Amino acid sequence: MTTKRPQGAPRRSLAARQRARSAMLAEQSGTNAIAYEGALPFGSALSVERYRLANGLQVLLVEDRAAPVVAYHTWFRVGSRHERQGKTGLAHLLEHLMFNEFEGMKPGEFDRKLEEAGAETNAATWVDWTYYYENLPASQLGLAIALESRRMGKLVMQQAQVTSELEVVANERRYRVDDDVDGAVSEKLYSRAFTTHGYRTPTIGWMDDIKGLTPDDCRGFYTTYYAPNNATLVVVGDFDEVATIRKIAAAYGELKPAEIPVEDSHPDAPQTEQRTEVLHKPTPTDKVSIGYHGPALADYDHSALSLLNDILFGGRSSRVHRALVQDAEIATDVRGWVSTFQDPGLYEIGLVARPERSAEELLAKLDEQLEKVCAEPVTEDELERARARAELGLLRGMETCGGKAEQIAFYTTTLGEPCGAFQRLEQLRRVTRSDVLKAARRYLRPEARTVITVHPQPKEATP
Amino acid sequence: MSAPVHIETSRDLPLVSVMVGFKIGSVLDPVGKEGLTRLMVRMLRRGAGDMGATTIENHIDRLGADLSEHAGTSTVSFQMEIIRRSFDRGIELLAKLLGSPSFDPAELGKLLRESEGEIIEARDNDRALASRAFRRTVFEDHPFARRASGLIPTLRAIERSDVLDAYARTLTRDKVVMAFAGDVDDAMAQRAAELIHAALPAGPSPARSIPDPAMKPGRRLVFVDKPERTQTQMLIGGMGTHPRDDDHVALHVANTVFGGTFTSRLMREVRSKRGWSYGAYANLPIDVCREGFSLWTHPKATDAAECLKLELKLLEEWRDKGITAAELAFAKRYLTRSHAFEIDTATKRVHRKLATSLYDLPEDYYSRYLEQVKAVTREQADAAVRNRLSGADLVVAITGTASEIGEQIKQAIPGLVEHKVVPHDLE
Repeated sequence: MTTKRPQGAPRRSLAARQRARSAMLAEQSGTNAIAYEGALPFGSALSVERYRLANGLQVLLVEDRAAPVVAYHTWFRVGSRHERQGKTGLAHLLEHLMFNEFEGMKPGEFDRKLEEAGAETNAATWVDWTYYYENLPASQLGLAIALESRRMGKLVMQQAQVTSELEVVANERRYRVDDDVDGAVSEKLYSRAFTTHGYRTPTIGWMDDIKGLTPDDCRGFYTTYYAPNNATLVVVGDFDEVATIRKIAAAYGELKPAEIPVEDSHPDAPQTEQRTEVLHKPTPTDKVSIGYHGPALADYDHSALSLLNDILFGGRSSRVHRALVQDAEIATDVRGWVSTFQDPGLYEIGLVARPERSAEELLAKLDEQLEKVCAEPVTEDELERARARAELGLLRGMETCGGKAEQIAFYTTTLGEPCGAFQRLEQLRRVTRSDVLKAARRYLRPEARTVITVHPQPKEATP
Repeated sequence: MSAPVHIETSRDLPLVSVMVGFKIGSVLDPVGKEGLTRLMVRMLRRGAGDMGATTIENHIDRLGADLSEHAGTSTVSFQMEIIRRSFDRGIELLAKLLGSPSFDPAELGKLLRESEGEIIEARDNDRALASRAFRRTVFEDHPFARRASGLIPTLRAIERSDVLDAYARTLTRDKVVMAFAGDVDDAMAQRAAELIHAALPAGPSPARSIPDPAMKPGRRLVFVDKPERTQTQMLIGGMGTHPRDDDHVALHVANTVFGGTFTSRLMREVRSKRGWSYGAYANLPIDVCREGFSLWTHPKATDAAECLKLELKLLEEWRDKGITAAELAFAKRYLTRSHAFEIDTATKRVHRKLATSLYDLPEDYYSRYLEQVKAVTREQADAAVRNRLSGADLVVAITGTASEIGEQIKQAIPGLVEHKVVPHDLE
């Protein structure tokens, strides 16, 4: 039994689109001026059409008629690493406030209008960026353009909204960190592994800092960083490219660019001694979290280390899973992740002990595996399997318009490469066993790691 | 081959989703051997024919595939995502895993010990602890109250012969439903379905018989006591709905108003106005029989009692005063317009067909859904809430620190007939 999928309108021919684009560009001038910066192939069937408005707003459009829906992403090149000490959590609080009130739009109206249009909307903040998105029926694209352009320049931040939202954020912190062992350990790991770089502070903010944030703090951050020249807009879905860029230019053209401050960044000095910390938590088993200083996303080593990570931790056939979970039966869960940050981040490893097994046992067993990959090359078969898993991961991330928009926006924001996901796949294919060995020896250095150990609280200490 | 096969072709990506479901689940686990079906399902990738666990996992990775398995009360399912070029080899492997499991005793021992570790580790998840307490209390003697992953004593009672029996009565040809989505055509999918079908035990297996649950009268509180909680995880609810109910869609529309969106009454009152909880939603899941209704929030410990009082009041107002015409119109617009995202990928579209077969939903459950939403009146929505969601018979389940807030929580529930404090490591 087969059914046809719901199709959007057919895409215009390439020549017709070029003619329409040329005619449109010729009409534009002044604040509405639009620069066309060319197209990039996105996979085998789609292309990213690149535009820039006079105020610096980068606009990337991908016509994808697979379904009558549109994904609308707005990414700002600002995250928690841009915060000052004492003001941590500001980028994230501002993200919450962006759903509240802006000129001509009462609190709650933004979400209500979008939900009424059948849209899903949300946002996320991390160390390097903050983004907002709407997934909406294709017929409602105009609403996203109208609302997003308005909140990029006309946000209202009064004491009442800030006070209420601070309480929500504090509750989010309790949920994600204070009452969550993994969240608490991750926060500790980064705060110990980094001593000067902005990556040492948690994106959600320290609780004391959150409570002290003011409307003036929010206004200052907003006017400094939420400017069109610090943003990328990505639209993917069932729309007409030329008509859409016209509407975007009309809606955003009046927004003024800002002078984005030079980042006051303090890279960490190389770590020369292992750092350790022991925590006691109301948790049933021992846990270990390890952070090795790793490469930035743009480094070639990042691909090699990511493949190594997959060989060590990617699924049940990985080396560490087999050694700790299946053979030695001392762990319940093992995981590894190479941070995908703009600046050098961490290669994070997490281990969860079985009951009655210790963190020290886990660490010793892990070290055996890490020593092996530093001593001998991985096999070609392991490398092939890791590449195949990466390819599958890329494809799965591209199934929806939202998935495509996120990939385009993420790689544009962090690397300046709209098609970075595909370039990354090509890079993974080029990585050799020698590259993996080199990455292992370069990054898996015991003196450059931070180890956070968690033990269950003694029974008598609990009420 | 008589098994239902659903196919949705999409050439957008060189990716195929393969779903194999069975209309039977952990409801068949013998009392005292809970977790058996799930254990059997997880054993399938740990040995088949001449392939050992490591060989299987390496093969899956080499193909560019991902295989996941699920065992619920009423269904068992497998999902394989695979790069198109490996499709035929992936199907051969899947047929082998489903059709020729070895249930190696050493692997079984390992999995049992691994599962015990996972059960203990789950005690870290406060929301899951509240959810388990909620389901145990709402459903009591019904199969929905039993934990599909089992408990440590029930896992220890399982023998290899139990696993073999569970396999023979569960993964049978008469219970299988298959679905294919993505870069796959009819002929490919049919060939694959036949290969998988032929590999399965012939059956037949016992009929799936899960009665509607009944709930004890009165308001009951179960408090999961865990040290040092700065925040609570709180669920309130009781009996819910079944797709064959006349008022099923009306109840869904009413719930959309109450707690189904980011601007719902619940979210507005709890989060937007008071900042008491980051999340606030009400949920009406479906299954082969009546499922539950629950609303979830996670207020700070010191706000929990006030938040609970507010939520009980909101529930009461919803039942007594119903929804407004404006709210109804809003919910209808939201549900009809957002429907585009229920069907925007081939996998989502085929999942609806698979669910219809697996859960014995009315044939037109999804195809008539929008039409039914549009037809719901205020009177129907209000009546559905009054008839299906009881204000008098409610369960409140909370994870928190009992010595600090237990008494306040108890006081916040008028008409409480039963109050139980359970340790967080009860299961």
